[in-house]
Amino acid sequence: MAKVISAKINGILLRVEEGTTILEAAKRVQIKIPTLCKHPDLPASAACGICIVKNKGSNKLLRSCCTPLEEGMDITTHDPEIVEIRRTVIELILSNHPNDCLKCARNNQCELQNLTADFGIKEESFPQLLRNLPIDQSTKAVDLDPKKCILCGRCVHVCQESQDVWALSFLERGMQTRISPAGDIQLSDSPCVKCGQCAAHCPTGAFVEQDNTAQVWKALQDPDKYCVVQIAPAVRVSIGEAFGYVGKNFTKKLYALLRRLGFHAVFDTSFGADVTIMEEASEFEERLLHGLRPLPLITSCCPSWVDFMEKFYTDMIDHFSSCKSPHEILGVLSKTYYAEKNKIDPSKIFMASIMPCTSKKYEITRNDEMFASGFQDIDTVLCTRELVRMIKQAGIDFESLPEEECDSILGEYAGAGVIFGSTGGVMEAALRTAHYFVTGKELKNVEFENVRGIKGVKETEIEIDGKKLRIAVAHGLGNVEYILNKVREAKVNNKEMPYHFIEVMACPGGCVGGGGQPYMVTDELRIKRALALYEDDDEKKIRCSHQNPYIKRLYKEFLGKPLSERSEKLLHAHYKARPIYVK
Amino acid sequence: MAKLTPEGLDKISKAVIIEGDWIKVGMSSCGIAAGAEEVYDFFVEEAKKRNLKIEVKKCGCAGSCYAEPLVEVKVEGLPSVVYGRVNKDVAGKIIEKHIIAKMLVNDCIFDSVV
Amino acid sequence: MYAKTVLIKDTDTTREDKTREAYTRLLDCLREDNLHDHVQVVRVSDIGIYEHGLVLKIYPDNITYANVQESGLKRIADSIRDSKVLEEFVFKPKARQLRLVLRNCGKINPESIDEYFASEGYLGLKKAISDLGQQKLIDEIKLSSIRGRGGAGYPTWLKWNFAREVKADQKFVICNADEGDPGAYMDRSILEGDPHSVIEGLSIAAFAIGASKGYFYVRAEYPLAVERINKAIKQAYDHGLLGKNILGSPFSLDLEIRLGAGAFVCGEETALISSIEGKRGTPHPRPPYPSVKGLWGKPTVINNVETLANIPQIVLKGGKWFSKIGTQTSKGTKVFAVTGKVKNSGLVEIAMGATLREIVMDICGGTLSGKPIKAVQTGGPSGGVIPQDLLDTPVDYENLQKLGSIMGSGGMIVMDEDDCMVDIPKFYLGFCVEESCGKCAPCRIGGFQMLNYLKKISEGKGEISDLPQLKRISQAMQKASLCGLGQTASNPVLSTLKYFEAEYKEHILNKHCPAGKCSHLITYNIIEEKCKRCGICFTNCPVNAIVGDKEKGYSVIQEKCIKCGRCFDVCKFKAILRK
Repeated sequence: MAKVISAKINGILLRVEEGTTILEAAKRVQIKIPTLCKHPDLPASAACGICIVKNKGSNKLLRSCCTPLEEGMDITTHDPEIVEIRRTVIELILSNHPNDCLKCARNNQCELQNLTADFGIKEESFPQLLRNLPIDQSTKAVDLDPKKCILCGRCVHVCQESQDVWALSFLERGMQTRISPAGDIQLSDSPCVKCGQCAAHCPTGAFVEQDNTAQVWKALQDPDKYCVVQIAPAVRVSIGEAFGYVGKNFTKKLYALLRRLGFHAVFDTSFGADVTIMEEASEFEERLLHGLRPLPLITSCCPSWVDFMEKFYTDMIDHFSSCKSPHEILGVLSKTYYAEKNKIDPSKIFMASIMPCTSKKYEITRNDEMFASGFQDIDTVLCTRELVRMIKQAGIDFESLPEEECDSILGEYAGAGVIFGSTGGVMEAALRTAHYFVTGKELKNVEFENVRGIKGVKETEIEIDGKKLRIAVAHGLGNVEYILNKVREAKVNNKEMPYHFIEVMACPGGCVGGGGQPYMVTDELRIKRALALYEDDDEKKIRCSHQNPYIKRLYKEFLGKPLSERSEKLLHAHYKARPIYVK
Repeated sequence: MAKLTPEGLDKISKAVIIEGDWIKVGMSSCGIAAGAEEVYDFFVEEAKKRNLKIEVKKCGCAGSCYAEPLVEVKVEGLPSVVYGRVNKDVAGKIIEKHIIAKMLVNDCIFDSVV
Repeated sequence: MYAKTVLIKDTDTTREDKTREAYTRLLDCLREDNLHDHVQVVRVSDIGIYEHGLVLKIYPDNITYANVQESGLKRIADSIRDSKVLEEFVFKPKARQLRLVLRNCGKINPESIDEYFASEGYLGLKKAISDLGQQKLIDEIKLSSIRGRGGAGYPTWLKWNFAREVKADQKFVICNADEGDPGAYMDRSILEGDPHSVIEGLSIAAFAIGASKGYFYVRAEYPLAVERINKAIKQAYDHGLLGKNILGSPFSLDLEIRLGAGAFVCGEETALISSIEGKRGTPHPRPPYPSVKGLWGKPTVINNVETLANIPQIVLKGGKWFSKIGTQTSKGTKVFAVTGKVKNSGLVEIAMGATLREIVMDICGGTLSGKPIKAVQTGGPSGGVIPQDLLDTPVDYENLQKLGSIMGSGGMIVMDEDDCMVDIPKFYLGFCVEESCGKCAPCRIGGFQMLNYLKKISEGKGEISDLPQLKRISQAMQKASLCGLGQTASNPVLSTLKYFEAEYKEHILNKHCPAGKCSHLITYNIIEEKCKRCGICFTNCPVNAIVGDKEKGYSVIQEKCIKCGRCFDVCKFKAILRK
């Protein structure tokens, strides 16, 4: 038990556990100290100097974000001097930031802009000092505009520590300090895996998704195109945040919305997820029972994770499921199966994916296998944030929209498909079906509580047919090392593998915490989004992918069986080692 | 080398006694920058050449960096003095006058050094 | 062989040097007394006393006479004959150096451990290990009240005690030798002149907290210091003063050198730790303090070179002895690197409490130019400028802070009337802006903005509204910067604004630089009446801005002139007017 200390903040006596920061403690007595660089989930970098407070008897001001409240402290969080200093610091930051808010992707959602508004700053007190630095658009997924960077360091922390990618670092010093891949190269030549967590954590518009809305508008207006669209599981539970709803599932309104926007058919990526499960569970069954390829099987539906593995864990290629990600599967099916059945010329189909993810923008052209239908299987990817902008541009009153159903035959999904959006979801979905494939029997309880939740690494054991299977789930690439080092060790020493099945999602929380989701994400929010997905699953009559009648029909009419020749050709991919740095 | 014990250290502290005549040349960065290496080498050579019974030593910066190179000379019977801005020329005079003739050299002493 | 030696020097700079006349006169007097074979008289270059007329020192009696009139020389000769002391001439020094830290510098051979042994070397470590033990050792350091000499003045014993009290499987000690203040080189001199004293101090610190590993963090620009530390470390290992079971005790310590790559901010202890760990050298928020969670997350004591060099003496002579030196709040001595327009630039070690005037005038001999002192800047780039009329302030941590400056690591720069009080802070701030790590916004942007205002003012484009802006940014930097660099970077600006606001206003309102330093605000012109048409300015102008010939005379083309001042300096007839 931590020691409890008592101190005063703005005259209010409070008792908190020792080690609680002044910022946190103040929150508990309803005092909000303004901050800029501090992110609720990340350790304080103490860069901005806005959260300063006074302690009675000391001349020095303390940074409340990183200073623990101590016994007997008498803290003042707001007085004319403090406010004036904060204002000066904000104005200094503004003098080094382009004031083109109106044209910025973060307009109205920018933490610096909010602070400026809160402090009523109406003029430029100091001369503008802007650096002429180019925008890096090389990844085609996340753009970096270093001019807008305020050097809070969140992205660097996330990229290095949470994600273990080390694409970003600080370069140079003083006023020349900037964020860039080490060696001053382009992001596409760096270890960057396009996860977009930099953008998700950036307080300003320095990191934003590459905007593809124009392409979609153009396609929608093209009479020659047959526009179809799919929405990923995680989008339905986060889009409401743009309209003030947290943790609410908007699946059916989204279907209606997308039709209003002009799409001819609206599909659901969760259906693609069901297909993924059919293939992946079969793959697992094959490896487990027939040992053709090694265990553990590692999931591959996250393109950032695939990219990361191809750069840092190439020795794991054999363990990777060859199954494509759900939206790619849906893409190829829309231009083959769906086109055939509805007699549509696949060359005219324009498929847009609405994703919580920036990496999917990169995935759609990552190799030839993403053109399995004979065309580019997915024409473009929009993040949740881009869709929000389209809704607003289209002038649609989203909240009042009626609920509609999805278009068959690529829409109806099982509960298993929708939990893909949360960490542990793919594993849970796969286990439901794998159990059936291995034993031929349905599970009584389809819920695997041990793989749910926000813990970075989840390890558990389940029993299928009397056989004990060791499972690991990791999210946030920084958590991968622990699991894969164990596998490596076992491989090197020729020992029994520590796991049979591993799920990895690049983003903390899984896709609900994706790099393309609405801003200001915290663990608290990730949990709320995930819960909404589990609710959706819970309400479904059909919880397992293999029970989905549309899936059955798909295999009967088109694919034959999982891992069939046609499945392999359309739904599976191969991996290769990639250089960490492209020269 | 044998490792010292507390008693050994006491013994060694008392055993090391520095006596006899010597020349000390300030050989810190400030001295070297002002030309102390040349002066040091000159003294070593001259002492050898003339077979002088004098030890030429290095030392650190005595503080009066403005007057580097500094050379302290201790000769039996004369007060120990510090010469400043010593070049080969002055060093020659120190050998001739101070060390051999036992007379201090005019206009070269910097007695500001503590 | 002479029985006595008399050193002689005329120290009055307000008149022609009369040393030679006095020398001849004294020789005559001695001859009259028939002493010329017994007493040698020597003219010296610098006798260490300034502005006290004719000064004589008599050895081996060790008598110093000052303000001696020529008429007095005869009496002095007689007194030597009679073995008497002339009380009326006896010089009573106001200020003396007190050498604790520099006790061995310039005395012993830094590359010989034997010479260090001969001057009580490693007896402090022995006493700490064999007699005191950890608790009593820290008690002694506490009793001495020594505060960190790196700048902040934090009580050394507290650092040690924190680190000692934390339970950890490993602890570290670090000697901070990343001396980076422009013009300051105390630490370099100590390391080059007496490396063993620092090793001994660091070993004692390690013993006190229970550390088994230590680092010297030395800037790479100090190759000689590195070489000498390396040699000294090796010698210490050879003698069993480093390594396993030091002096036969259970205490073991390994020392290693790490080179700093030249970032000023790496002298800040959390940045220094990052640098040793191989990371970008940027400061981190404290707490946790390094004494609790430092290098590799382990308790770490970081002490400055000068602090450590004090430690062996404190241990040996006792904390009480040390605490008797200095002022109420600041004990012991401080080494200053006195540079700038001063006559004797170099290292000065004084007991805390000596005044700035004593240091600059009595010990260092005033200005080289003979012009009056305008101000003294202390504390390196983050120190403040102290005007001439406050030079009688006794030096200690608190007093300097009250004047808007800091002790800092001990840089002291003397300025005369040719130094511009807008230009000086511009230089220092420029240094801090250059060296800012860029992490925290107030320092990174604030410093740069302030520098731009100063540039603007020195270029004659300043507005009176720039002054409150400077003050406003200063306040934000002082209060909201993360580390000491940013918190103090504006000190030179604030202190010059406080003491020399009129000079700023002169630049802003009259577009005039009184010191003639700000090149945009001065012009050079040839005064026809004084010009002898020698043409020296013409030949020396690097940009051919001076035109004319010996017949017609010369003139300056203002558009071409780069205000380098070369013509002003070379003209022997003072015919160049700088305005």
